[in-house]
Amino acid sequence: MITIENLNVSIENKEILKGINLEVKSGELHVIMGRNGTGKSTLANVLVGKDKYKVTNGTVSFNGENLLDMSPEDRACAGLFLSFQYPVAIPGVNNMYFLKAAVNAVRKSRGEEEIDAVDFLSMIREKLKIVALDESFIHRPVNDGFSGGEKKRNEILQMIALEPKLSILDETDSGLDIDALKIVAQGVNDYRSPDRSFILITHYQRILNYMQPDFVHVLMNGRIVKSGTMELAKELEEKGYSWIEEEMVEIT
Amino acid sequence: MSISNYKVEFEKMLNRNYFSKSLHPYRKEAFTQLEKTGFPTQKWENWRFTNVSNISDGEFMISEISDAPQTTPDIDSYQMEGVDTVVIYNGHYQKDISSIPNGVNLLSGSEYMERKNGNFNRANNSPFDLLNTAFTDSGMCIVLEKNTLVKSPIRILFISNGDRSIMVNPRVNVDIGESSSLTFIEQHVGDATSFFQNESVFITLGNNAQLNHVRIQSNSEFTQNISNLNVNQAADSQYEFFQLVDGSKLGRSDICVQLDGENAQCNINSLTLSKNNQHIDNNIIVNHNSAQTHSSQFVKSILFDTSTGVFNGRTVVHENAQKITAQQTNKNILLSKKAKMNANPQLEIYADDVKCSHGSTTGQIDEDALFYLQSRGINKQDAMELMVVGFANEVLDKIPHPEIKKAIYTEFTVKLNRLMS
Repeated sequence: MITIENLNVSIENKEILKGINLEVKSGELHVIMGRNGTGKSTLANVLVGKDKYKVTNGTVSFNGENLLDMSPEDRACAGLFLSFQYPVAIPGVNNMYFLKAAVNAVRKSRGEEEIDAVDFLSMIREKLKIVALDESFIHRPVNDGFSGGEKKRNEILQMIALEPKLSILDETDSGLDIDALKIVAQGVNDYRSPDRSFILITHYQRILNYMQPDFVHVLMNGRIVKSGTMELAKELEEKGYSWIEEEMVEIT
Repeated sequence: MSISNYKVEFEKMLNRNYFSKSLHPYRKEAFTQLEKTGFPTQKWENWRFTNVSNISDGEFMISEISDAPQTTPDIDSYQMEGVDTVVIYNGHYQKDISSIPNGVNLLSGSEYMERKNGNFNRANNSPFDLLNTAFTDSGMCIVLEKNTLVKSPIRILFISNGDRSIMVNPRVNVDIGESSSLTFIEQHVGDATSFFQNESVFITLGNNAQLNHVRIQSNSEFTQNISNLNVNQAADSQYEFFQLVDGSKLGRSDICVQLDGENAQCNINSLTLSKNNQHIDNNIIVNHNSAQTHSSQFVKSILFDTSTGVFNGRTVVHENAQKITAQQTNKNILLSKKAKMNANPQLEIYADDVKCSHGSTTGQIDEDALFYLQSRGINKQDAMELMVVGFANEVLDKIPHPEIKKAIYTEFTVKLNRLMS
């Protein structure tokens, strides 16, 4: 699905990512954990093409294509999706209108016909049930006046409407109460399939009570310093990150 | 300041036998006063950002019979479903293609002035209203007696065409009697390559009267448009104003509302879309003269290229106007590095028990929001358009009538689309 090799990224000449290597295969769910400021969100944003980040070295191949050469919209059309940590509010832009424009942009790029308003509405009604939001919600401006939980559920709604191949969830679990967390996790679980992959960025092991990751990685100081399975996440929850730092010191 | 050209035209005007001689004293009085005040200069506080030298030094001529259309003008492209339309072409009333709803008395501008025997409304402080009084040549007066509810909206369609540097001075009076209601649209269109329109509109709302007033200024980008709008509201009356401006080389709207009676309410909504070197100035004053009156100003501008804009909004709460509410919101979006907006929201409060707020923002497209839309597959061009339409929607949503809203929305999106592609 995606192969990241020796990815180096800096912002305003400050190096944030110092050689990331990661391969995610079809159907896999990878978790990236790490302290604040270690580069987790940078990785997510650089993959979807946010322009303030500068790639100084490395390659990213997404289903055989050179991802770093593509515009943000082309990346989305190719099947990449980011659930933002802080979804931005867009006053005046109707949520449904936006969603329809997005769905049709993606469909068009796949050579499919545009969906009409009636079919779109019935499709969205089904998806709204999955994220437990009522219909009035899609007639409001995008993320404007939404609560934290509503914003995150709106991200998941967009994900299941756009049907990406690789979804990156950037702290989608942060700030959610336990009910909202279950809804979000359930939405992701329902969406999992052998041809869809996920990269889940999180601080907490909590969401992993509801999801089964294939791999867990620890990002520290711009590098993936440890990889493992669910057991690693549990260990981090118990012991924190300092033992990994100590291990690293021993190695060097 | 040069009034001499206008003096020549004024003499021509007085000699036209198709204008009633009985108005001559008022015309002369106004012209004499205009000679004293002169046209505004940028030294005048309310005209600091707007240069009218193209008007004051311009050589505009009064409209002649030969400026009327030779064949019936085609108004199909301005069709609005369920709306009665009165057509005025280069200052000439087009009776054959005009219709008036039941319950409405329609008089020409000068007929109305005549009927009022000199006691017609005027805005004495404004040089342009003086010019209008002196030169009134067209317009309409809509009079609703009390308890008259007119369902179908009435529209005056002003068409300005040609290259002869014509000046027209339409005067519109709208008198809505007690407990009556109307929707009134003035739409300004045309392809004139040089034109000066100086319009005065006077609106009087009786007790409990209601008026939806829609103004669409989409005539050519070579037109000098001056608009003087004066509104007087009695108790419990309601005035809803919506304005879309996308035409004009220079567009200046002076809007002055007097909330005279208790519980009178006005909502002023305006959306401007400007390009090239257009200059659009909205100068709004709302006077709360009575207790428990309510007002809002919601004014937005979208500026492309080297266009410039002015928002000068003033809300004045007079001494005895307690328990009033007033809001003022001005938002501007600059889509070019060379576009410029001057915003000046002002509150003047002399009462002590009031609820007022005001604010103004000017900025570029929100890059984070743009990226958000792109990250969902929408290309940059479409994403920008989506955001600008969204920005405009907040005002467009205030248009009360669905058919009118549809027409304005179409006008706006077609123009915007042309600018963004």
